[in-house]
Amino acid sequence: MSSFNNINPPELIDEVGSFHPINQVKDFLINLLKDFGFNEVDGPEIESEEFNFDMLNIKKSHPARQMHDTFYLQNKSNLLRTHTSPVQIRSMLNSNPPLAFTSSGKVYRKDDDATHLPMFHQVEGIYVDSEVNFAQLKGLIHQIIYAIFGEQVKIRFRPSYFPFTEPSAEVDILSKNGKWLEILGCGIINPVVLDNCNIDSNKYSGLAFGLGVERIAMLKYGVKDIRDFYKSNLDFLNQFK
Amino acid sequence: MKLLYKDLLKFIIDKPSIEDLSDNLFQLGHEHEIEDNIFDMELTPNRGDCLSLLGLARDLNAFYNTNLSVQTYEEKIDPLDLDFINQSPNDCPKISFLELEVEDLPDKYHDYLESYFQNLQVSKNNFFTDISNYISYELGQPTHCFDKNKLNGHISFESKKCDKPFSTLLNTDIELKGKNCVFLNNNEVISLAGVMGGKSTACSKDTKKVLIECAYFNPESIIGKSIQYNLHSDAAHKFERGVDINSHEMVLRRFIKIVEQHAKIKACKITSFDSKAISSKELPINLDKINAILGTSISSDAFKNILVKLGFDITSKIKAPSYRSDITSQNDLAEEVARVVGYNNIPSQKIAIPRIKKDNNKLNLESLKSGLKKKGFYEVINFPFTSIEKESSITLDNPLDSNKKNLRIALKESLIENLLYNERRQKDSIKLFEISDTYCKSNNLEQSLKLGIIASGRVGHNYNNFSKKIDEAFLLDVFKSVFGDKDAAIEQIPRKNLNTKIKNNIFYIEISLDKLQPSNINVFNEEHDMEFNKYTPISEFPSSSKDFSFLIADHSKYNKVIDMINKIQGMYLKDFFIFDFYKNDKNEEIKIGVRMIFQSNEKTLSDEDIKDSISKILKPILDIDGVSVPGM
Repeated sequence: MSSFNNINPPELIDEVGSFHPINQVKDFLINLLKDFGFNEVDGPEIESEEFNFDMLNIKKSHPARQMHDTFYLQNKSNLLRTHTSPVQIRSMLNSNPPLAFTSSGKVYRKDDDATHLPMFHQVEGIYVDSEVNFAQLKGLIHQIIYAIFGEQVKIRFRPSYFPFTEPSAEVDILSKNGKWLEILGCGIINPVVLDNCNIDSNKYSGLAFGLGVERIAMLKYGVKDIRDFYKSNLDFLNQFK
Repeated sequence: MKLLYKDLLKFIIDKPSIEDLSDNLFQLGHEHEIEDNIFDMELTPNRGDCLSLLGLARDLNAFYNTNLSVQTYEEKIDPLDLDFINQSPNDCPKISFLELEVEDLPDKYHDYLESYFQNLQVSKNNFFTDISNYISYELGQPTHCFDKNKLNGHISFESKKCDKPFSTLLNTDIELKGKNCVFLNNNEVISLAGVMGGKSTACSKDTKKVLIECAYFNPESIIGKSIQYNLHSDAAHKFERGVDINSHEMVLRRFIKIVEQHAKIKACKITSFDSKAISSKELPINLDKINAILGTSISSDAFKNILVKLGFDITSKIKAPSYRSDITSQNDLAEEVARVVGYNNIPSQKIAIPRIKKDNNKLNLESLKSGLKKKGFYEVINFPFTSIEKESSITLDNPLDSNKKNLRIALKESLIENLLYNERRQKDSIKLFEISDTYCKSNNLEQSLKLGIIASGRVGHNYNNFSKKIDEAFLLDVFKSVFGDKDAAIEQIPRKNLNTKIKNNIFYIEISLDKLQPSNINVFNEEHDMEFNKYTPISEFPSSSKDFSFLIADHSKYNKVIDMINKIQGMYLKDFFIFDFYKNDKNEEIKIGVRMIFQSNEKTLSDEDIKDSISKILKPILDIDGVSVPGM
């Protein structure tokens, strides 16, 4: 029989907090891309029309430039970036190929419903070198998706349209219930964009891709409602320790 | 855009199954859903040419034998002498008019026309407008029908500043503002070009004589108008994405044919105003470039064959068809080839990205965050929109609502809101932080990376911290553990304006991380083993907590009791922890305080629900000799 004096108090548990799940997924993706050889670059969330649209070959007539999609600031002098691509533009203007950059962060669209938020996160990558082609883009996208979802996952490429890439593709994975789910957009950088960034498109070509962080986080964690990420509910946050 | 499978089949000689068609549409990049033999297409904005049966059939010609012609009126048509001037050919390089009069109006439509309205649930208007809508569905070219008897005298197309009211044919009254492309009849606006016609000259059920306008509008001249005036317009959707400038005669002859199938034509005249020749883009044949873009080795024959099937004309150069205004470069041609070959059929190649080392003097936020996490703090992310307007606030031109019209210049208000949100959900120990860029204006736009830390309530839930309240010293200690000796201004946030009955003090720190050096932050290393645990949806129903004090009179049972407490499970039990531990040396008794928190995802729990669960949880512990819960 143990003596009363030898009784130890119960284990003292210090509660730890957690990183936000969106930042966890974002950091996971960035670290993955760094391992592939991409260098991380940052840029501002407030952008000009020039960097957010013009330099990316998004013409004035493109639907994305309409007031209903973009938050404009201070009498249209600036805007909240609608994607992280302007960061890539700024980085390309400051470097010479070969170059490989990844950027991530908050982006904004004038949307607010059950499946769209006015703010969400993207992770992007670009690689520009002398002979970059679509078959290599496919190889890289496979590597990225396998690293996120495992090598058993089925992948489908579909033609799509982004003004800054040509050819452009959207990539789906096959979910457990047999439905194709859109995971990322990618393509060969439109030569117009390279030329805009003072990169000779006759000598160099590039690939680009972008992932929606919330989308990946929802699939990986099984979160059904995108709005749960931004309620700051401790019952939610403490599940991501 | 919705279209009937059976209508699409009219253009495809092979009569493929709906599944086969669906697969090929996906391969070509035309996303869609299928319900009841109806394709609901979601086309990319560069493919305005596919917004019709004919358009999709032209693309599907890559895979099937097709018949891309429709029945048209083949007789000679008299020229129309129309008093019309195109004042803005840059906005409208080509426009045609057809004047048509019928003897009487039909009682019913032919099956193909009736089926369009019935199966796609399109509402009928009047004979001519109905045909106009059908032709837009079939051929992709919008037309507008004016009631000829309501027109009088000179007609013009102009791009002009007009600030005046305009009633649309759908009886919507709008206020035209700024520059608009309009049709005028004796200086009265009769149509907002490319978007919607006006009420004053609209066709009615009795209209027998019409002037049909068939135009090509420059997409840049039309874009944004339907949104600006909040007019839902199929025509605008098509014109914004580009229509076929060379289709006018075929479209108008098709119009006559359909009219002829339904009514006796009394008179029919046509005219066309071609102000500016728009020729299709010609590109050099450069197969090496195509293969270099795709990483393929496609043969010259295969390459040409694909383009010819898609309507391209190949001589010494490659000429895109007039409806493909999206084709301007070799990269565009590469995409055409890849679509037909199939993106999934292009083999992947290995890629090795050269390592280009860049200096990275980035602040290690992860170490900072790890330090806070270790102290029990949760990271939050907030939207930057706020109603609070300061002199240096940046305002949005088009906010989601008036409460969200400024960008926050500090994180404090967001974090206070997060704290109150959790207090309302019965949380009694709240420790949160956020790191975010903030923006403000002085002379220039200023960006600053900020850290905000907020804390209130109990220090923690374990039996050492349960009865301690978060105070200034606690937060200072947390701060110093991360930032060493850096100074911190801790603010106590008054509760008087916060609309809450809770009394715990709230403490807050906000600092700028801009000038911080990596050496300013203590190093916290964390193992990086990313695990994605499946999460359980959070409950919106209130939780209820119950405290129990276990008295262990026979201390030999202590280990067993602790073991059982650590493993307790029960219906609706969401969480539990030991908040009190007391050894009474005199009586050799031990007291263990346990708090259990109950919550359901389906309902607000009744006392009975909780009582039932508690009795089941406690029974095995209370069955141990010498263990009791006084008062139970």
